Amino acid sequence: MNKVALFSALFFSVCGLSDLRLEIKKGTIDPINIAIYEINNKSNISKTIGDVLRGDLIRTGEFKIIDGVEIVQLFDEKSVFNFKGWKMLNLDYVVIPEIDFPDNSSVNLRYRVFDVVLEKEIRASKIFGLRSNLRQIGHFASDGIFESILGFPGVASTKIMYVNYSNFNDEETYKLFISDSDGFNRKLLLQSPYPIISPAWSPDSKEVAYVSFETGKASVYIQNVSTGRRNLVLKKNTQVSSPSWSPNGKFLAITIHEGGNPEIYILKLKDKSLTRLTNHYSIDTEANWSAKGNKIMFTSSRSGTPQLYEINLRSIGKNPKRITYEGDYNARGSYLPDGNGYVFVHRSSEGNFHIALKYRRESFARILTEARLDESPSVSPNGSMIVYAVSEDGINKLSILNINGAQFDLPSSEGMVREPAWSGLVR
Amino acid sequence: MLKISSKCMYFLQVSIIAFMLSACSSLKITDEIVPSDGVQGITISKKSKATQIILDSATIYFEYDSSRLSSESIKTLKDVVELMKTDKAMTLSLQGHADERGTREYNLALGQRRSESVSSYLIASGLSNSRMEAISYGEERPLILGSDESSWQKNRRVEIK
Repeated sequence: MNKVALFSALFFSVCGLSDLRLEIKKGTIDPINIAIYEINNKSNISKTIGDVLRGDLIRTGEFKIIDGVEIVQLFDEKSVFNFKGWKMLNLDYVVIPEIDFPDNSSVNLRYRVFDVVLEKEIRASKIFGLRSNLRQIGHFASDGIFESILGFPGVASTKIMYVNYSNFNDEETYKLFISDSDGFNRKLLLQSPYPIISPAWSPDSKEVAYVSFETGKASVYIQNVSTGRRNLVLKKNTQVSSPSWSPNGKFLAITIHEGGNPEIYILKLKDKSLTRLTNHYSIDTEANWSAKGNKIMFTSSRSGTPQLYEINLRSIGKNPKRITYEGDYNARGSYLPDGNGYVFVHRSSEGNFHIALKYRRESFARILTEARLDESPSVSPNGSMIVYAVSEDGINKLSILNINGAQFDLPSSEGMVREPAWSGLVR
Repeated sequence: MLKISSKCMYFLQVSIIAFMLSACSSLKITDEIVPSDGVQGITISKKSKATQIILDSATIYFEYDSSRLSSESIKTLKDVVELMKTDKAMTLSLQGHADERGTREYNLALGQRRSESVSSYLIASGLSNSRMEAISYGEERPLILGSDESSWQKNRRVEIK
């Protein structure tokens, strides 16, 4: 299973070039102490994988990597793993990786995870991959370790898609990129002199939908990531925008701007049939599908200011339910994967735009960010992190916020980065 | 142009079939129509410099999160209506824009509403809707870069081209 996923990931990874640079802004208060025991092989390959693995674990915000575990004997006098020695180093978990090379092009990474407190081995895994894709091997190991300790999947092996905008000598260029979740290994999906907005991953992360202005007006396209083949999803004289995939990948919620009155429709991809979801003279746009597929959240100005509303798809035609009341601007909502809440763009009383989180069980919104113009929040598929775009003083960058409090920046080495979209799980 | 030449082809085919059908009998009766070769071409010329100057200065500005036309905007649009009535062939592209604040999709919708409110006024003034197209660039094409009210003011606009 893991092997198949790894091979499909191999198709779009050749170089390790990084566009986005990782800067750690803030860690968690009470991290888990973990040590990675370097057992053999100080080769460049094991160093690369080890560095990726460490970086990933730190980036989760959950771990503190403790160095120097090798000073403790691996086994105690009874030839069992030296849990007592590890406890003396105040370790919570120990990872023992082992690398070998079945042939010139491939790599085997075996790793074992030990719970020091419970004195037991909690995971033994093997990852097979190609030498051309070492970083993804490290990401897979990190996600496995994360899952064995935290109990839910890690997202180091997932992808982030974003739009890069540059303007040299009045020549505007828009590039749609995907990269690993740490900003490395970026790949160009689309380059255009016309604006590209609203990129969205299909649930299986094999296709992307986005809005391109290449025909002079906004239109939605679907592009296959590995083949590059793309299609206009709906031929219309009016603008079409704001794609959001249904969790089964068969439908796309879109906004059709008919006569200046944007309404949300569900487009069945197979036969292009349309079902109208909203019916109001105000702005209705920015649909987002819940993970279970039974609800759609959207932005509407029907109350006079943009607010979030929700439609239960079992009762289309009934009045949508308003779900935000905080201030005069709440827009571009997206559900947390477990459906227990949603993140959105909120305008504060000072007039600044921040990313906010609202849990269903709570009657208030939590403001998560503090710059002047934060936008485009996208939640990681395990629900633990939010990537969003920061725009301040003409600089655009991506920032990743961990719900546990840690925060990281991914500033671009060139141009402006905006509109990040987190892929689904790929392992 | 393309349509008319295909019509010619149609008549040509009809007469060939008629000829083939009648070829086996001794008496040839043919009935043909030669279509008129009237061709109606369309010339799109660049707007004159004078027109261009008027349109350039006819950019319509809006309040925050609003697509309502101000009385000043209506004055400006009256000049555009006059221009359109004088030059009956002129067509317009109405391009709505928003400032950078708020979300991109909401701003795309807002820009569209702005260009449609200009288009509604022009139609209400007696112009045909076939002479204009209302589109939006949302916040993607700011006129002025800058994150202050004076820049935002200039970016909340409909450009008439």
